[in-house]
Amino acid sequence: MFSILTSLLTTTSQGAPANFWLPKQASTVAESVDLTFFVITWICYFFFFAITGSMVLFMIKYRRKGHEVVADGPTHNTPLEIAWTVLPLLLVVVIFVVGMRGYLNLQEAPEGSYEVQVTGQKWSWTFDHPKYGATQVAELTVPVNTPVRLLMTSNDVLHSVWIPDFRVKMDLVPGRYTSLWFEATAVGDYNLNCAEYCGKDHSRMFATVRVVPKDEFEPIMVKLASEYEDMSVGELPAYAINRLYNRCQSCHSLDGTTGTGPSFKGLWTRVKSGDMLFTSGERLSDLYGENTTYEVPENYIRTSIVNPQGHIVQGYLGSMPSFQGQLKDKQITAIIEMLKHLDELTDDEGNITVNPDGAPRQ
Amino acid sequence: MTTTSTTTPQVFDNYLNHTKGIRSWLFTLDHKRIGVMYLICVLSAFLLAGIFAMMIRFQLLTPEGTFMTQDQYNQAFTVHGAIMVFLVIIPAVPAALGNFVLPIMLGAKDVAFPKLNLFSWWLWVFGLIFFLIALGVGGIDTGWTFYTPYSIDKASSMGGVIPALIGTFILGFSSIFTGMNFIVTIHRLRPKGMTWFRMPLFLWATYATAIIQVLATPVIGITLLLLVIERTVGIGIFDPAMGGDPVLYQHFFWFYSHPAVYIMILPAMGVVSELIAVHSHRHIFGYKFIAYSSIAIAMFGFLVWGHHMFTSGQSPLMNVIFSIITFSVSIPSAVKIFNWLATLYKGSISLNTSMIYGLSFIFIFSIGGLTGLHLATLATDVHLHDSYFVVAHFHYVMMGSALIGFLGGIHHWWPKMIGKMYNENWGRISAILVFIGFNVTFFSQFMMGSKGMPRRYATYTEMPEFQIYHIWSTAGSTILALGFVICAIYLLHSVFKGKRAPANPWGGRSLEWQCSSPPPWDNFAEQPEVGDCYDFSVLEWNETEQGYNWRKDVAHPGE
Repeated sequence: MFSILTSLLTTTSQGAPANFWLPKQASTVAESVDLTFFVITWICYFFFFAITGSMVLFMIKYRRKGHEVVADGPTHNTPLEIAWTVLPLLLVVVIFVVGMRGYLNLQEAPEGSYEVQVTGQKWSWTFDHPKYGATQVAELTVPVNTPVRLLMTSNDVLHSVWIPDFRVKMDLVPGRYTSLWFEATAVGDYNLNCAEYCGKDHSRMFATVRVVPKDEFEPIMVKLASEYEDMSVGELPAYAINRLYNRCQSCHSLDGTTGTGPSFKGLWTRVKSGDMLFTSGERLSDLYGENTTYEVPENYIRTSIVNPQGHIVQGYLGSMPSFQGQLKDKQITAIIEMLKHLDELTDDEGNITVNPDGAPRQ
Repeated sequence: MTTTSTTTPQVFDNYLNHTKGIRSWLFTLDHKRIGVMYLICVLSAFLLAGIFAMMIRFQLLTPEGTFMTQDQYNQAFTVHGAIMVFLVIIPAVPAALGNFVLPIMLGAKDVAFPKLNLFSWWLWVFGLIFFLIALGVGGIDTGWTFYTPYSIDKASSMGGVIPALIGTFILGFSSIFTGMNFIVTIHRLRPKGMTWFRMPLFLWATYATAIIQVLATPVIGITLLLLVIERTVGIGIFDPAMGGDPVLYQHFFWFYSHPAVYIMILPAMGVVSELIAVHSHRHIFGYKFIAYSSIAIAMFGFLVWGHHMFTSGQSPLMNVIFSIITFSVSIPSAVKIFNWLATLYKGSISLNTSMIYGLSFIFIFSIGGLTGLHLATLATDVHLHDSYFVVAHFHYVMMGSALIGFLGGIHHWWPKMIGKMYNENWGRISAILVFIGFNVTFFSQFMMGSKGMPRRYATYTEMPEFQIYHIWSTAGSTILALGFVICAIYLLHSVFKGKRAPANPWGGRSLEWQCSSPPPWDNFAEQPEVGDCYDFSVLEWNETEQGYNWRKDVAHPGE
């Protein structure tokens, strides 16, 4: 009981640590959400102890000794019953109003919030920073004391972003956008969990929100957007599968299943041997060699990225958009290197097994 | 009204021994036998789903999970939830206890449509068979909610989805038919003297429940049928890839499944109204408020489904509207609690097994109801939604309240059903173990939920700080399981070795206590007339029979 009391007192200060009921506060809305929580909780304590207290009292005081059948006492009391109908009604109206105001606060992102586009897919999170052209997977870096708006959608089934320390949550629905916003109040790492059941690895669909000082944020983003520039060719595959593949993922699988486009698994072997038929009737192997369309297999992949409509493989609709201008030359090289080394980057089921720095993923 | 237990021959003709052979049970039209068959079936399903519950609890002892893969865990919680909801809690009180008690409380010989009643039971059996098929052909891992688009994605969800959906569809009909039967029975077969406001409160609760069963269940039927068609043919109603709307599915689903919560809790509240009045020998306080509150809950229950979807992407305006209506449901629930407490006041409270369950219900339902306030409040629900706080909340309501009400009802009417007394001391021990075990199991889940533990997680490697709560919860569930095992043992023991039950062991006043235990085949030779079923002053204790008799100096109603 004492711990509950002290925890209530501590929640009134900004950025309070975890207490008996709630995790630490790390966003601007957390304080008012927690206040609402504790007002309700104290109302609960009152009613709970009043109800069970009188129940236990009656149990002891009016315990049957023998086999009496007659027990007196009133059978009804209309004013009393009206009172205990109306008073709780007034109380819940108050709770409703407090809760609604806090909720509307959670809804409207302030003007000029920093925007991040979030994509959920089984079972990973992708965060795109349009302002910097940077992409993060399973990790979201945001500046402290800055309103951030997440514009979210899903590539497959329902997911839900939940950051407990920020007290925010919103579902991701395929085929539409949802949004939430927060303003982190303390530098640090915070859990982001998937809260809507989404299949096998639902409980592993995890990301870390890294809140960094304002002045460190921009350099991190700039580096993230251009980190490939200083990389050697050997470092590129791990970079590509972590930072670039998420843009291919909705159509090109890693486990061999056919999607809107062909799977990446084993694709390089087929491209290299030229074992592909196009809707034009041409065969890829006939287009290789000096003074031909592609000269070397790498050129075919490059052309397929910048001009996907050039040659469409039989059996596909050719619905891929051009990535001309969206990917730098070195990023295209990185994708080609990724295809060549796909076996080293994924397991048999198509799960990515390396981190951006090439270290094995846990 | 002379069928009271004045003389009890050694073997007398009753519904249990009136006819013999397995066929005389499987094709019986007798509501009492159907009730007993429901009871056996529901308890078997409870055992099955309970085993899955224990698997879930032991898996979560360590952050990495102890013995199941992700897929296995996902199946375990889906099967646990689906069986508990559709095969256990929804039919528990109405179909098992209601079938047995309702016609006798009315002094009737049977329900209005005995054949339909038998058909309902057979539908339950077919529903179970489809669930077992679902387990056999690949399992189900969608959660009991079958949310789209996961449930229509053949590549990722498991092959048992369609049999499970068909099973649920069939169970829906079972529920609708039971509801229809009870509505007609209560309207048409009430005895002389039993006006609407003289009905035992259990009948009011059953009546309110039946209204929900008849009005809400067709919606889930249509929804699940659409889901089957979507998954097999692909008509594009729920599938966003074809222009469908997955949130629409959630509306359809909860339009039934929220009222379904009241299908589970209302009849249990009816049981508790009987338990509290009979075992404190005190006229129920505020009869009309309790009766009306059942109807109010049934009505408001239809208008609050959207509170399951506060973070689904539905519009803020709708969230606000659903929030305020949700609060309105809390009022009739609170009214019931206050009236029960007032009934205890100046009562003559017998702390027997049934009453321990009744009082446990008040304790547990208070917590379950009050934590509903956190979830109805928009600002806090955003944080708590889909966390263990929600898991704890609905277990307090659906398990701690609905099932404990069911258990209280079983103990209350067991002597009437079986004609034998169980061991009261073991009953008390078991009831207290259930009470303690339940609270340890689920209170810890409130705490981890509000601190950030999401539900439906097979592992929690990134959040090892929650392990201590999971250990508490698993320890509690072990105590709970022990309580149930003891309960099963002494109840089974009583069937074979229990003392012969008197007609009225507790001093109940409603009609079922005026026929023998177990009741005769046709309940009453002719329909008796009734008075105030909560006036216990007409009874007196009879030492030789170890039960209560009608006082010699007081005339029966209508005499």
